[in-house]
Parts: sequence; structure tokens; C-alpha cells
Amino acid sequence: MTTTTTPRSVPVSQRVPRLVSRIAWYLLCILLAVSMLLPLVWMISIALKTNSDINQIPPTFFPHEFDWANFVNGPADIHFYRLLLNTVIVTVLSTFGAVASSMVVGYGISRIEFPGRRFWFATITGSMFVPGIVGLIPLQRLYIDTGLIDTYVPLILPAFFGSPIFVFLARQYYQSIPRYLDESALIDGAGHWAIFTRIMIPITKPVWITVAIMSFQLAWNDYLNPLVYLQSSSKFTLSLGMATLLGDQTGSEYNYYMAANLLFMLPPLILFFLAQRYFMEGLGSLGTISK
Amino acid sequence: MSRTEIDAIPVPTVRAPQEAKRALPVRRNQQRRKNALLGYLFILPAIIGLGLFVVYPMVTSLYHSFTEWNGLTPARWIGLDNYTEMFTNDPKFWSSVGVTLLWVVMSVPITMITALGLAVLVDRSLKGVKVFRTIFYLPVVLPAIAVLTLWKYIYDPTYGLANELLRDLHLPTSLWLGSTHTALASIMIVGVWSVGGTMIIFLAGLQAVPSELHEAARVDGAGAVRRFFSITLPMIGPILLLQLVLQLNAAFQTFNQVAILTKGGPGTSTDLLMYKIYNDGFANFIASPQLGYATAEVWVLFVIVMLVTLLMLRLTRGRFSAGEES
Repeated sequence: MTTTTTPRSVPVSQRVPRLVSRIAWYLLCILLAVSMLLPLVWMISIALKTNSDINQIPPTFFPHEFDWANFVNGPADIHFYRLLLNTVIVTVLSTFGAVASSMVVGYGISRIEFPGRRFWFATITGSMFVPGIVGLIPLQRLYIDTGLIDTYVPLILPAFFGSPIFVFLARQYYQSIPRYLDESALIDGAGHWAIFTRIMIPITKPVWITVAIMSFQLAWNDYLNPLVYLQSSSKFTLSLGMATLLGDQTGSEYNYYMAANLLFMLPPLILFFLAQRYFMEGLGSLGTISK
Repeated sequence: MSRTEIDAIPVPTVRAPQEAKRALPVRRNQQRRKNALLGYLFILPAIIGLGLFVVYPMVTSLYHSFTEWNGLTPARWIGLDNYTEMFTNDPKFWSSVGVTLLWVVMSVPITMITALGLAVLVDRSLKGVKVFRTIFYLPVVLPAIAVLTLWKYIYDPTYGLANELLRDLHLPTSLWLGSTHTALASIMIVGVWSVGGTMIIFLAGLQAVPSELHEAARVDGAGAVRRFFSITLPMIGPILLLQLVLQLNAAFQTFNQVAILTKGGPGTSTDLLMYKIYNDGFANFIASPQLGYATAEVWVLFVIVMLVTLLMLRLTRGRFSAGEES
């Protein structure tokens, strides 16, 4: 940041190296950007190839002719829309649960004085470091015993109990809100619940949007949990369904597969471009866990 | 009622003011008790969550790791048999520990350094920098499974993009995921492709470094490299450390990449411990699932992760706190 401001006083002898370094910077960035995007461009190209084009040896980078029908036939071929519906159900419910629970818990831990709150905050944050794998086998057993296996409950339920990362994010944001806001409301006779719903929910919008986006991503992308907790293919989510299909897929239908895969990528992509700021903010504030 | 008001009340007897003075702490106690109740009501979901999703699984799985258990018949206590079997009689266990360590030791530093390099690169206010940041971050937005299935096809020796590029450059082609020599490295490349999340976290840290520090050092004649190592690195130290711990934690639990790209093969070259646990506990359809054995393996992995985490925190703590004090 500091190197880029060009005050008028810069002597000519420094301008030329500065220009060279700037050109080098652009060249490096462009090179990296192209190599990052190349796989995705290639994927789009595959998704548009015709059935005969896809098996040509040696393969060409771009399609000979564009087969837009792949975006209709591909998804239809693999029951894409049922997988999509399942994923939407799981994602919407667990996103709602994550936002509600983390905002409530975050409020309690940062705005209400009660004995033991430091302990609970440390314990909740510390549980972030417990590997998730520890829970997998006992919880699968629990869900089998309670008849909840092969339902969406195991995928949705945990979100309603305040995931440590989201509680942490919410708490950090609450801490930055001045105390006098709730103190004056308390003096006016408002209870904590009223302060939470009337004052806090509106002013903490940035953080709960961030939590919503992050939990959307978690649920949308989750693979291991559906793999362990779902059994019937009619209930599969997109991650599980697409991964399972890859095993069955023969080389000849990769154009269909990649067309469906692109549609699978689309909702998070759209969300990202609509709410880019919140993605970056959420990640940025995660870096402050150590403070 | 405040304390001064009470004190100002005319005193008829000797006992009355004591009672009045006592009334206030009682009220405060009530308030405190009410707050305690409310506080616990607000954090109740998290407490239940801790019990249900952390404590309960830890306790039951610790017990089950000492049993023989297939999930159908009741678990049978066998003491340390699972652990002795694992350490002395399961060559696949040791090979998967080796592969896991190799994976962690290689992938974590590579990801961290790449992410830091990219973060430094895009910590500029040149025109177009936001576009580059977005592009570098883009792979992270995409669903992991969509990305991995794409890469599986990219690595296809005949039809894949990877060999297509090598052929275009007149370089020898590779088997990528199909060879024991290149499979693990191929998986790592996918990880490097998606370092954008870590990059953004580092970038936020870099931007929080006060620019006056750099100015002052520049005036004193410190070059860019010197400034990076003496100012930037110590300032973002805590962020680096936390990311290191989280990345180590995640690397030990790598599953998706192996499950989609290689299924542990070829041979045992990518059979990470996490994937072996999954196979022993869930996917072994030929023999009945060995849940007791798999939970014992889970506990070994858990202990390794915890030891590494504590070790990292211990090794680096003194350094960073010393840096903050000075």
C-alpha cells in the first residue's frame, strides 16, 4: 500500500525501476490468474462438447461445436434436480439454525454478566480444535438407535446448537458494540431478550450475514456427513450424489457430467458475487481468534 | 434506590439502617441471580451442543476403542487388544501413518507459504488488484466435490487437461493419480490451487500492520526483504500461528481429496489414516464393520492431532508474546 502512492517529488532515477516493478507485478498476477482459471475454462469447454467430441484422441482444448443441450440433458440424466432440492432443504435449514443459535449464544456470552461465562467461552472456542472425526462413529450409532439415520436430521441438527466458529465470530462482533446501548435500554426496563431482538439483531447484520454465508457453504459443500448418515440415493445431496455418479460415469459422458457439475457450482458462485464483502470480512475476522 | 439515598434517610432506631443497607445487596443478588439464569439460558444451545457433539462422542468412543464391536451385536470388552493389534499386527496402519505424516509435513508448509506469497502479492493498491484477489479466491467458493471431480478428470492420462498441456509443451506426460510416485503430489496441487481462503486471512493480517512502521524502517534504510522479516512477519505472527494449527488439524483429517481422487491408491500411496478409519468403520462390506477397531484408530489420530497442536502452541508461544512486549 505504501509503495504505490506516487508523490510528485519522486526523482526520475526512481521512476523507471518503479515502472519496471509494476509491469513485473502485473505480468506475475496475470500469469497466476490464468493458471488459476484454466481448469475452470477447460471445464466449461468440456461441458459444451458434443458426445463425439468428448472422446476424440488427442483431445482439443475448445469444442468443435457448442452443444448447449448438455445443460438440459446432463442434469436430467442424473436426477440433478432432486439432488438440488435435497441440498437446498438441508442448506436452508442448517443455515437458519446456525444463524439463530450463534447469535443467541454470542449475545449471552458477550452481553450478559454471569458467573462462568469466561469458562464457557474458552470451552466453546477450545472445542473448535477437537477433530470432527471423533464424533462420527458414536453419532452414527446414536442416529441408528434413534431411527434418525437416513433422514436429514443428522445433517441439520448440529447447526442449531451453536457451532464454535460462528459463536466466536458473533461474540467478537458483539464485543465491538458500545456498552451504553444496552445499559440505557436496561435502565429503561427492557429485558435482555428485548435488547437482543430489538437492538442487537438489526445492528449485527454484517456478522449474521457472514455466518449465514459461511454455514451455507459448509452445508452446500459437506460430503463426509451425508456419506455417513444418508443411505437411500433418493435422499442424497449434490455433493454425495455427484461423487457417487463419478464412480459410475464412463468416459463417454463427461460432457453431461461437467454440465451438471457447473450447475452445482453456480449457487455458491452467485452468492459470492452478490455478497463478496461478507465472504472477505468473515475470513478476515477469523484471523483474530488468537487475540 | 442508590446508596446515598438510603444513607440520607433519617435514622429512627439503631437496627433500621442495617436492614436498609442489607436490602440493597439482596436486590443486587437477585439481579445477579436473574442474570446468571438468563446467561445460561442464552448459551444453553452451545452447552447442549458441547455435550451432545463433543463430550458424549468422546466418552463413548473412548470406551468402544477397548471393545470388539461390529455394530450388530453388543460390544465386548477386550482391553488393549485393538491397540496392540494396530501397533504390532496391522502393516496397513503403519503405512497409513507414514503417508499421513508425509502429507501433513509437505502440504501444510506448501499451502501456508503459497498463501502468504499470494497475500503479499495482492497487498497493494494498484489498479485491478481486487480482480486478482477475487480470481485467487474463486476456487474456494466452489463446492469441494465439484472441484475434486473436475480435477479427477483433469488428471485423466488420456483425456485430461494436465497431460494435454504437457503434450502441447512437448514435455513427457505423467500418470498423475495413477502412479505411486505422483499421486500424493497430484493431490497437493489441488490444495495449492485452492489456497485463496488462507490468502484472504493473511491479507487481512497484512493490512492491519500499521504503515508507519514500514515508513520508519524505510527511512532507517531497511530494504523490502528486511522489512518483511523484521516487521511484517512478527506483526502477523499470531495469525500465522493460528492458521498453522488449524491447517495441521485439517491436514490430519484430510478425507475428501483421497475419497474422490484416489480411494487410497494406487497401492497404499495415498491411504491417509482418516480414509483408513472410514474404510474400517463404515465401508468394509466384505467383513462386518470393525467399529471398535476404527474408534481405536480414531483415538490414535486424535491424540496425534492434540499433541501436534499443543506442541505448536508451546514452541511458538514464547516467541510471539516476547515480540508483543517489546
